[in-house]
Amino acid sequence: MDKQQTYAEIFKARGLSRRDFLKFCGLTSVSLGLAPSLLPKVIHAMETSPRTPVIWLHGLECTCCTESFIRSSHPVMGDIVLNMISLDYDDTLSAAAGHQLEEVRRKIMKDYKGKYILACEGNAPVKDDGVYCLVAGDSYLNILKETAADAAAVIAWGACATFGCVQNADPNPTGAVPVSEIITDKPLVNVPGCPPIAEVMTGVITHYHTFGTLPELDRMKRPKAFYGTRIHDKCYRRAFYDAGMFVRDFDDESTRKGWCLYKMGCKGPTTYNACSKTEWNDGISFPIGSGHPCFGCAAPGYWDDGPFYTRLADVSFLGIDSNADKIGAVAVGAAAAGAAAHAVVTAVRKKKANGENEQLEE
Amino acid sequence: MGKIIEEIYVWKLPVRMYHWINALCITVLFVTGFYIASPYLNPPIGEAVWFKQMSVFRFIHFATAFVFIANYLFRMYWALFGHDRYARFAGFRPWSPKWWGKPFREQMASYLFLRPDEPSHVGHNPVAALTYFIFIFCGSLFMILTGLAMYGENNPGGFTDTWFGWLIPLFGGSYNLHIVHHSVAWIFPFYVILHLYAIFRHDIVDRSSVTSSIITGYKHRVEDEASLD
Repeated sequence: MDKQQTYAEIFKARGLSRRDFLKFCGLTSVSLGLAPSLLPKVIHAMETSPRTPVIWLHGLECTCCTESFIRSSHPVMGDIVLNMISLDYDDTLSAAAGHQLEEVRRKIMKDYKGKYILACEGNAPVKDDGVYCLVAGDSYLNILKETAADAAAVIAWGACATFGCVQNADPNPTGAVPVSEIITDKPLVNVPGCPPIAEVMTGVITHYHTFGTLPELDRMKRPKAFYGTRIHDKCYRRAFYDAGMFVRDFDDESTRKGWCLYKMGCKGPTTYNACSKTEWNDGISFPIGSGHPCFGCAAPGYWDDGPFYTRLADVSFLGIDSNADKIGAVAVGAAAAGAAAHAVVTAVRKKKANGENEQLEE
Repeated sequence: MGKIIEEIYVWKLPVRMYHWINALCITVLFVTGFYIASPYLNPPIGEAVWFKQMSVFRFIHFATAFVFIANYLFRMYWALFGHDRYARFAGFRPWSPKWWGKPFREQMASYLFLRPDEPSHVGHNPVAALTYFIFIFCGSLFMILTGLAMYGENNPGGFTDTWFGWLIPLFGGSYNLHIVHHSVAWIFPFYVILHLYAIFRHDIVDRSSVTSSIITGYKHRVEDEASLD
């Protein structure tokens, strides 16, 4: 485990040419949205800085973030990045296990105090002292706090770690909370998505390695480079949206014509992610490209904002399944009925008063 | 009909203008807003680049929203600084227990049929003032702020996003904000029904010409004569 090697040295050791190395640096800076003038800086960092040690923890999750990460699109690039970030601890990918592996984690924490990156996949249940997720004989809650204490920065991978995902969907039986609610004193970057796009994941790490800082973040601590705009804004079906040409049924002609999926419940207009630019699996496609509405996996609370195939969320109102329009229509109906009832009472009382007046006159 | 005893100029021209611009804006915003949430028109035939069916509804919604905001701000100016005793905020103090005292309770009791007569108010009666405050002042403000936050999403980092985008995380995300904006829109038809019912009823019960007053500006005091015909 020689952690002092630089990226350039690893390229060399693996028999890749200088040209491949420069291509990698160029690709990386483009995917980070950096100006061409910054390319020498990227190359310099890759040549001189030692690899950034990364501790990768897994909490309550499904490992889809790891699955995405190891498929980083460019085959060569993906393999290299995986080897290059010096992934020293990852309990699902390591050959070692048990006490041996836990020993490595403690060693990294000691040797690279304040220098390593903590990458968290999944969130921590906090109910009943975090007993609902145990790793290496301790609660994940404790391990997360312990490992984060000496980290330089924390990366929260995926919908689970950033916003909670299915674990903290209503009624959230285990009290799962996003990492940002447990680790509050460290620089933190949220990389939402279920899973996040592989190139986005490697891009965040490369940015940190190159500049020693986290990328520029938005209000929800997401990197602006990848989460700056909505999927809708760069969607290739946007022209159909503006023209009012919508898919109304998965069986009809409009589906075959590839019209806008807005009416099928597409969450593209409210979801911030790079899917419509970067796409998935080496740029092959993304959900909308394959004819399915976006269901907003990178948006907060996406399991509670269901169903996936309607624009309007179902809400439980007084224990009955409903939605905003149904509740609104009932309220307006009630107002009309109330007004009508009030009018009747007014008329009856008027009549009575008139009757009394007439009696008095008689 | 009772004889007209007195003619009172209640609603000055700016107030009447505000009222009708506001009514028109709310109607247009409600209709276009619901169209945006659920576009129902048949799709145009031809190439997408030739048409702007959805964009037109969005454009009308946004343009009307800015008229609505300007109108709202004007009304706030008029309520704070306008020399208009019937349209000012001055008398409206819901934070003071005194405001909830006799006039409010009398009016409420009258609406609930607990007293036979109608209290007489020249401007807004206290119950009406409270209703306007909740639905028109607070409701519109809420729709304006949430609307601007969503409008800012069209240009991340721009002016609107910088000043109003903070509302998005406050509501837990863009989707929730859309749903909240959509749900709260329903308060307007709810309010309009109550509003129309109340003014028509007042016109019949106390015959103060409240309905026509928002066009002419004049309310009338009539000879007391309990009659429906």
